[in-house]
Amino acid sequence: MLSADVSNRLHEELETLALRNKARAIGVALHDLETGLRFSLRGDRWFHAASTIKVAVLLAVFRAADEGRFRLDDSLHVRNRFFSAGDGSLFRLSQDRDATPELYAAIGRTVKISALAQAMICGSSNLATNLLLAFVDVEYARTVLREARVDGVELRRGVEDHDAHDRGINNEATADGLLSLLSAIRGDFLMPEAKREVIRILLEQRFNSMIPAGLPPHATVAHKTGEISTACHDVGIIYLPEREPYIAAILTEFDPDTEGRRETVAAMSKAIYRSLLQTEPKSNEDSLSAGG
Amino acid sequence: MRTHFPRAVDGLRLAQDYRALLRPGDSEAGDNGTVHRLPRFFYEIGSWEEAHEIRLAPHFTLAELMLVDCREARLLLSQFPHYVPCTILLLARFLEDFRREVEAPVFISANGGYRSPAHQIGGAKSIHAWGTAANIYRVGDTFLSDARSIGKYRAVAVSLGPAIFVRPFGCEEGQTSDHVHIDLGYARLTPRECSEAS
Repeated sequence: MLSADVSNRLHEELETLALRNKARAIGVALHDLETGLRFSLRGDRWFHAASTIKVAVLLAVFRAADEGRFRLDDSLHVRNRFFSAGDGSLFRLSQDRDATPELYAAIGRTVKISALAQAMICGSSNLATNLLLAFVDVEYARTVLREARVDGVELRRGVEDHDAHDRGINNEATADGLLSLLSAIRGDFLMPEAKREVIRILLEQRFNSMIPAGLPPHATVAHKTGEISTACHDVGIIYLPEREPYIAAILTEFDPDTEGRRETVAAMSKAIYRSLLQTEPKSNEDSLSAGG
Repeated sequence: MRTHFPRAVDGLRLAQDYRALLRPGDSEAGDNGTVHRLPRFFYEIGSWEEAHEIRLAPHFTLAELMLVDCREARLLLSQFPHYVPCTILLLARFLEDFRREVEAPVFISANGGYRSPAHQIGGAKSIHAWGTAANIYRVGDTFLSDARSIGKYRAVAVSLGPAIFVRPFGCEEGQTSDHVHIDLGYARLTPRECSEAS
């Protein structure tokens, strides 16, 4: 654990941020690879995983490629037609609700699996996610999570599966679970080349208003956000040139339409940084001022 | 555009690894107990460039009728030559008639033309393994993804002749929900220079 003082202070600060910003619940988990220290604040509480579940799909895709089931530069037929994990009924994704509408232009044709993986994470594409998950299969992906010893991530279905949602079949995760998922990615579960590629994809995340927003500009973050009406999460590996990285999972739950949700996660990211490095994250402007 | 057509080959004379996947002339039993023989004669395609250059009909190249994804057997997916049943000519001719009726470009989906008997979707039980079937996912600017559009173009296809079979809209077995499936049955074509002896 973090030294008691630091741990207690971080605990208190995160609780204060949650209260001040009207979070209904938070779950935070942290592993500092520089010191080996761990921190968990309600790390075993289950949340709707939202798009953080895409990291589990990413792991399954790369594991399948490692096992020779396909090659990452193979092409996959793009269809907007999926079957619900609820009653097996057909459903389609809405281009208007997807963060990467450009992928819909490829319907009917093929796209490389590596490009779909990139779109799933960097652009949080729902279409890419459901295509990849249907291709590797939910049961296979669950097996991969078990083999990677990831507890606390329940992958049950694709995204935007409203019938399954109505039946209570959802993807869920705990902060501890998502932390162990990122640890598996950073560890030796994947072959070295696959691991490098997975981290490269996570580093190219386009949505950077949460964990990265609480960090100094020289930090780089391999991460995935997740947002639905009530959930706002970010999980990632934080790289700082002066030290070993740390892994953080910040999960939050709010009443629908609560404002300032991302800012709350960013503030929690900042609090974690401050606790670990015992210093305030400096912005570019601060650095410029200091350097004249 | 190419002026000469690829050579036809007897599948029974191909190397063993190709024969194992293409199963030329083999019998295959359908789910309803009917038995059909798989295609024996194929066009040999040397490269994707060649497939794009070969125009089977005024508006259809060979490439669009042989595009598959990674569910195809590795040998048939990633290296050339590729082999496509000679019946693909008949299919292209029908698609040209269909295009003339709808007066708009007709788009065939990936995995929607010829698939080998080793393809993971349907395998040898799929009529796509005969090279006589096409999945049309788009006509002009219309994506065929609802009962109305699929019904409309299904009616056009059916009107082209009694040999044409078109699956109805729906999510059950034998129905389609994101394309119009048309096929010409279990036709096989023997080019006149080829012999069926042996």
